[in-house]
Formats: sequence, C-alpha cells, structure tokens
Amino acid sequence: MMAQAPGKTTLTGWLFKGPALTLLAFFMVYPILSSLWMSLQVGKGMNFSFGGFANMWRLTQDAVFQQALLNTLTLLVVQVPIMITLAMLMAVALNDPSLKGRALFRTAIFLPCVTSLVAYSVLFKSMFAFDGVVNRFLEALHIMDQPIPWLSDAFWAKTLIILAITWRWTGYNTIFFLASLQNIDPSIYEAARIDGIPRWAQFIKITLPALKPVILFTTVTSTIGTLQLFDEVNTITPLGGPSNSTLTLSLYIYQLSFKFMPSFGYAATVSYVIVVLVMILSFIQFVVARERRRP
Amino acid sequence: MKKYAFNRRSVIAAAFAGISILAVTAAQAADTVTVWCWDKEFNGATMKEAADRYAKLHPGFTINIVDFNKADLEQKLQAQLSSGTTDGLPDIVLIEDYGAQKYLQSFTKAFEPLSDTKAIDYKNFAPYKVALSTVAGKTYSLPFDSGDTGLFYRSDYLAQAGYKAEDMNNITWDKLIEIGKAVEAKTGHKMLDLDLNDDGVFRIMLQSVGGWFFTPDGKPDITSPTFKAALTQYAKLMQSGIYKPVSGWADYTGGFTSGQIAATVTGVWIVGTIKSVADQSGKWAVAPTPRIDGVKGAANASNLGGSSWYVLSSAKNKATAIDFLAQIWGKDKDFYQKILIGQGAFGTLLSAREGDAFKASDAFFGGAPVWLNFSNWLAQIPSVNFGTFTNEADSAVDAQIAGLAKGGSVDDAIKAIDAQLKQQMQ
Repeated sequence: MMAQAPGKTTLTGWLFKGPALTLLAFFMVYPILSSLWMSLQVGKGMNFSFGGFANMWRLTQDAVFQQALLNTLTLLVVQVPIMITLAMLMAVALNDPSLKGRALFRTAIFLPCVTSLVAYSVLFKSMFAFDGVVNRFLEALHIMDQPIPWLSDAFWAKTLIILAITWRWTGYNTIFFLASLQNIDPSIYEAARIDGIPRWAQFIKITLPALKPVILFTTVTSTIGTLQLFDEVNTITPLGGPSNSTLTLSLYIYQLSFKFMPSFGYAATVSYVIVVLVMILSFIQFVVARERRRP
Repeated sequence: MKKYAFNRRSVIAAAFAGISILAVTAAQAADTVTVWCWDKEFNGATMKEAADRYAKLHPGFTINIVDFNKADLEQKLQAQLSSGTTDGLPDIVLIEDYGAQKYLQSFTKAFEPLSDTKAIDYKNFAPYKVALSTVAGKTYSLPFDSGDTGLFYRSDYLAQAGYKAEDMNNITWDKLIEIGKAVEAKTGHKMLDLDLNDDGVFRIMLQSVGGWFFTPDGKPDITSPTFKAALTQYAKLMQSGIYKPVSGWADYTGGFTSGQIAATVTGVWIVGTIKSVADQSGKWAVAPTPRIDGVKGAANASNLGGSSWYVLSSAKNKATAIDFLAQIWGKDKDFYQKILIGQGAFGTLLSAREGDAFKASDAFFGGAPVWLNFSNWLAQIPSVNFGTFTNEADSAVDAQIAGLAKGGSVDDAIKAIDAQLKQQMQ
C-alpha cells in the first residue's frame, strides 16, 4: 500500500465530503446565485424580464430605501454600543465573587433571551401604548405630565425599538463576557492589587484587553442582527412606524415582496445591500480589533 | 416487562386513533369549503350564515372559516401565490376592493373567472363592484359589500354636550372638530380615535370630493386640487387634538366598544363590531359622513373599503364553492336582509335592496331608519377608479401623517407623497 502524500485528496475523501457539499450546493450556493440573478430581473409579480442594472439605479432614486438604510444605520450606531457597554458592565458586576445571589441575577439577565421575539414585541407594544402601563407609571410618578406618544411619534418610536432590542439582547451578550471573564487568571488581579493599582485602571488595563476577542465577536454578531432587524419592528410598528421612522431594510424587503405590488427583483437587490453592508462592517471591525505587532 | 407491554398497547391505540382521525378528515374534505376572511363579527359571521343556508339545501356541506387580521391575510395570500405552491390555499378568499386589481394582474392564473360559469348574473350587482374585479372582459369575484361611510356617534354623549341629531346632520369636518372640542370639554370623552399609521379617514375625505390617488387611466394624481383640499382638511383634523391616537385595529375598535370614544367615521361594515356590545343598544346613532367645506362637488357621502369573494383556481372543491356562492350570495335576497340587520353587511346585490330590512328601523341606533339612509348616501358617493397601487399610495401618505399632525406643510407633504408614489410605481 502506498501512503498518500499529505494534502492530496483521495476518492474516499471526496465520498466523505460529498453529501455535505451536495447539501451545501443545493441549499446555500444555488439560492445565493439564484437571488443574485433575481436581483437583475424586473417586473410585476411572477412576470419577470431581464432588467440589467435597472434595480440598482432604482436604489439611487428611492427615497424610501434611503430612509430605511438611514434608520437601520441609526439603530445600529446608537443601539449596539449601548448594548455592548451594558453587557460588559453587567458581566463585570456579576463576576464579582462578593455579590450575593449571583446565580439568581445571572438567570434574570439571561431570561429575556428565552422569550420569543414576537411575544415580547406584542408585550412591549401594549405596555408602551398611548394609555399603556408605562405612560400611566410615568404620569403617576409625575415625571411626565403628558403621555409620551411612543407609537405615533418618529423619535419615540425609534427610541422604543432601541429599548426593546436592548432589553432582549443584552443578557445574551452578557453571557459571552461572563464566560470570558472567568478565564482571566485571578492572580493577575491579585498582583495588580498588591502593586496598588486602582480598580478602574485594573478594568482598563487588564479586563478590557482580555475581553477584546469577545468584544469583537459580540459587536459583529450584534451588527449583523441589527442589520437584519425585522420581527420587532414588524410587530411593534407594522407599517414602518410614524413617518417610516422604524422602517428597516428587512421590513422594506418584506413590503416590496408581500405588501406592495410584488417586486421580487428589486427586493433581492435590497437584500444584497444588507449582504454588502455586513461584509464591509465586519471587515472594518476585524481591522480595528486586529492585534498590533510590536515594532 | 409489564411496562413495555403497556407502552406497546398504547402505541397501537394511538396509531388506530391517528388513522381514524385521518379517515374523518378525508371524509370531511369531500364537501368542506375553506374560506379566508378577516372579521369574525362581520364577513366571517355573514359567511357562516350563508353556509348554514346552503347546508339546508345540500346536506353534507360544511364550511371551514379561517379568520385572520386583514393585513396578515393579504400578506399570507400574496406570499403563497408568489411561491407557486397551492397547498394550504383556501377555496374562497375575501379580497378588499383596493387590492383586487393588484392580485388579478400579478397572479393572472391564480383566480377562477366566475363569469365563465354563467351561474352568476352580474347584471344584478352594482356595476362599480363588477368593474373592480373585471380584467380583460372576465369577472373574477362574487361582489360582496359596499364601504358606504357614515358618522357613527354615541347619541348619549352628544346629548350631554348639548347636541341633537339634527345638529349632526350633513355637517362639515370643521364643524365636527368644533363639536369634538365641546364634547371633550363637557363629557371628558375624546370625539374620535385615529391610527397615525392608517390613512383610512384620509381616503374617506379624498373620495368624498371625487378625488383619488390615481387618474382614471392609472397615473398618479397627487398634485390635483382635490387631493390638496382633502390633505389640507386631514392635516387640520390631525392637528385638532379631538382624537386619541391609537395603534392597530384592536386598539382602534377598543376605543369605542369600551365606551371611551364618542364617535367614529368609517364604513357601514363597522356595525357588526358596534353591535357586538349589546348593552350599548339605543345609545348609538348614525349621521351622514362630514363633508369638506368649500370644495365644489364635495358630498356628505364616501366609501371606505368594501370587499368581494374570489375562488382560487387551485381550489379542491371548486365546483361546490362556485355553486355555493352563486346560489346564496348570487341570488338569496332573504339572506341579504338577515346579514344587513345582523352585521351591517351592505350587500351590492341590487334586487335585495327592495327587501324589508332595507326599509326597517333599527332599535340599536335609536329606532332610526339607518339602512334606508345608507341606501340614499350610497347613491351620492363620487365614483373613482381605485387602480392597482393603492397600497403604495397609502404607504406614501402614511409616511406623512405624523409630520402633518405636528403642523408640517401640506405642500411639502404633497411633494413627498408624489415623489414616493412615482418611485414605487414600477
């Protein structure tokens, strides 16, 4: 028997890879190519014809698309940093061994992630209704004398969406930070304490650098999640909210396909915008977080 | 060992139960017609009444009424028609008139041309309803209700504020705003509840002056004087503060069924919802739709919604479904009397209008001849062509509502609506 040179693939090897590759080709590669082809088609409903770059030109003319893009990026820029910071602070607090009832708090913080997206959105919608629990509460405390128009004002609707997704996803990210914090050797902190380094400096010089890979991971996944935001906005503000203020790209794709005169080609083009955005943003985040070599 | 035996027996029992359930569903499927509609107090209830009547003539006929939220139904139907598979589609589906042409033109082979069967005489129906579902000479729907509008109000609240029935007759929107302020001052009830993401009231205003989003040949018609007059009036209403802002249909109907809100301006089909609260009987009244002051041809009448039944080409029980629609919905005048009183279903089968119910007075509305009034208003509704892109136009208007409510410029809103609509219409 001849030994195979490493790196060469045998027939047996291909047979092992075959089933997985076939499935991948059918369920990943084909749909991706097919949607790319579809993004070049124009026409109403199922009556397609080749339109070349017509859909891309349409993107540049479409104020609603531009608003959806701006909304999505606004949500991203405001919400992701708030959530990651909150998650990190909560993780550090929960990691403190002197904290009583840590298990209880950890469970409580993770609990929102177990609820279904639509279920919690429906709950938020009713809580933040014009005469809902939240407005009543704020009025009872004399914080506000007028009810806040959460669902009928452009600014407040966006705020509500940010509140909702922050509530839902912060605990999820906290778990990653917690896991990572537990991998930091306690003796490093002990040494720092003996050297007289204050707590805030310990956090910046020891904790943060150790958390860097997790910060990168949570930022990338949260960015992708926010770019694809659909369930919450579709449930809380079904038509894109007052003045289209909560219309996200995903919701717009849905409207183009299932609410308006169906325009599947254009909807596919908009979905490629999300793909390109995810690629660019993830690349930037990787570059920024890259380990710098010492000179 | 014993435990194992027990398990095996229960598995076999479960298997038999499963088979018998399958057999029952198979037997049922033979004469079961599935219908999708969107309001169990209204069109769902009328469909049930129609099915009971048909089942008396055809024993074994059963109906499966699936009740959704209207937006969900439309999106589910559109998603399924786009997918190309027909599994899970119903036999009959209810489609609102605004969207009819979109479906018929986008999914050309999905619906059954009912005019081919000759079982339905379309001359008996209101011509505008037939035209709405006709494409290339073929008519696809069994016309159902009209969206004839009125001003529904709580006569008890209005009386407390010092307004009698004649004070509400043929008023303008400006007068309604004035009354609304007085009602809130004296009774603490807001006059209306409005959804800032739904321009229904705007569509009522627009059609009452004979305007629409489109010209008769389907071009955008946003820059017309009638459109501006309607939007100006709408902005005035949105800035008036006489309404409670609501979000979504349940929130909207909850406003007046709970007794919190004094009035609503909407289609006659709301009667089913209003009457669902039996202890409010005698406390309601209906007046003509407010008109827009100072516009030539402005009517105290308009239309909101209205819908028709369509049979899908893929229906498993197509023949039964068509016969059912033709026999009951196509000619049973007595049926139309029943659903008029019960649900406020203002059918468009013209010969049914001669029936007694259309002349009767209604105790729920203080003994007034409400149906005769609606018949009279129906004749005054300016006729418009809904076109194919009503959803897009709605969306363009919805995007401006919040801005207008805050005092934004009407001219800027018109420019924005025009630009968005033109962009979306391709």
